[in-house]
Amino acid sequence: MIQLHNVSLAYQRDASALRNINLKVGKGEFVFLTGPSGAGKTTLLRLLYGALTPTRGEVLIDGQNISRIAASQIPQLRRSIGVVFQDFKLLQSRTVFENVAVTLEVLGWGRGDIGKKTMHILKQMGIESKYNLITQRLSGGEQQRVALARALVNDPKILLADEPTGNLDDANKNQILNIFKEANVRGTTVVVATHDRRLIEHGHKRLITLNKGEIVEQVEKEENRDEQAF
Amino acid sequence: MNRWKKKKTETSKPFKRPTLAEDGFGGRAGYFFVRALTNIRQNIFVNVVTIGTITLALLIVSLFLLVFVNLENAAENWSERVQVTVYFDRDLTSEEQTMLRGRIRALPETSRVSYVSREEALKRFKSRLRGQETLLEGVRPEVLPTSFEISLKRANRDTQGVENFVVSLKRIPGITEVQYGEEWVKRFNSFLNFMRLLGALLGAFLVLAVVFIVSNTIKLTIYARRDELEVMSLVGATSFFIKAPFLLEGLIQGLVGAIIAITLLFGLYEGFLHNAGSFLTFNPVSSGLGFLPYEYVGGIILAGAILGFIGSLTSLKRFVDA
Repeated sequence: MIQLHNVSLAYQRDASALRNINLKVGKGEFVFLTGPSGAGKTTLLRLLYGALTPTRGEVLIDGQNISRIAASQIPQLRRSIGVVFQDFKLLQSRTVFENVAVTLEVLGWGRGDIGKKTMHILKQMGIESKYNLITQRLSGGEQQRVALARALVNDPKILLADEPTGNLDDANKNQILNIFKEANVRGTTVVVATHDRRLIEHGHKRLITLNKGEIVEQVEKEENRDEQAF
Repeated sequence: MNRWKKKKTETSKPFKRPTLAEDGFGGRAGYFFVRALTNIRQNIFVNVVTIGTITLALLIVSLFLLVFVNLENAAENWSERVQVTVYFDRDLTSEEQTMLRGRIRALPETSRVSYVSREEALKRFKSRLRGQETLLEGVRPEVLPTSFEISLKRANRDTQGVENFVVSLKRIPGITEVQYGEEWVKRFNSFLNFMRLLGALLGAFLVLAVVFIVSNTIKLTIYARRDELEVMSLVGATSFFIKAPFLLEGLIQGLVGAIIAITLLFGLYEGFLHNAGSFLTFNPVSSGLGFLPYEYVGGIILAGAILGFIGSLTSLKRFVDA
């Protein structure tokens, strides 16, 4: 599903953000990216949803080389990828419903279908009763669930998460982790960048450690090992 | 053909799109319009500030235009005084009058020709010396000349136009003495030109200031909502899909701002028209003070819409790729 071949990225000439990354993530896999701040986790995720292009190497998403993709093709790519962030990136002036529905509006769905699908995913996230609230009034955990609902409402092939539990307490962390797992069970490939050890330990998934822009360690957790299919 | 096939497999296979998706403004016009109106409602404070700025800016420009248009009208009326007079030291027979009047009227610059007989000339002289009529005792009409007074068409009332007309007049047999208040015409025309230049400079300066203020206000409001642009881009919205509601919003802001500005200007104008008589020495109603012509009003409303649209378009370029 995701393949990186000799990928390097330099923001400036001397300082490399990523160096010679080779990585394969199979369809339906669940991967944690970890490492200290500045290791390149966010940069790697940004490469995957086309917000950055590599200086060298190739990034393939579902067989398509996105390192040479035209700017006009990026929206198409993003429609098959859900992304969540530590700061949620919600539309603060809009309601919970509107924040989630926007994904389907972009796809051109009819109003009736948008309503049904959005309420369905809000129910899955356990926030259907708050559908008409402005997102500013929600707690951190609820806001992250809205962000997840927005990312998952169109059943994306890939879900990318950048420190998704950074602003949450332990109870909320578990809930969010469970949502990732459920999405993964339904067939979505999940990549979570985090330095939250607790999340990684409870995740029991493949773990990739980055440091100074390089992959320094890859650990296969037991239950995941058999599913590896490159 | 091959190229087309390749492109199709690339886009449709790995990233299959739902069949419901419709691209372009036509398919989504209703959605964009509703979205723009909802955005205005949800960001009401920002919108009130923007519309207020556009209203004030256009009010200043249209107030300037109103003053300028009225001064131009006044100048046009004063220019009626640009007259050319042909003098004769004898009475003209009615055949001569008809013949000369015809020749003068045939000139393209002529707007009106009137004959002033000796008696008429004396009558006018007397009315100018009202209160001192005794000075004219013993003056007989025969000492005064007869004349043709000729008004010119608007386009020919400038110094050059009058001089050319006089040359053409003098070519007509029987016309020898022509007067036209050369100094007055020159002074009047240089005053008019100065006023127009000043108006154009002030107007250009005002328009520049308005464009600068309005585009920066719009830029700030879009900057305040840059997260929205980012989110839309993250969920796979095309650049057109992201921009369209903002552009419509800008268009609506510009239109509403312009309409409020024109309404306020009309209110100010009416207020001035009916109250200024009490503190000014002239009566604005009888002095022919007019409101802006329809085409100017239409132009201001159109300018407001364009200002809002272009302001949004240029601001969006900074925040939305491609």
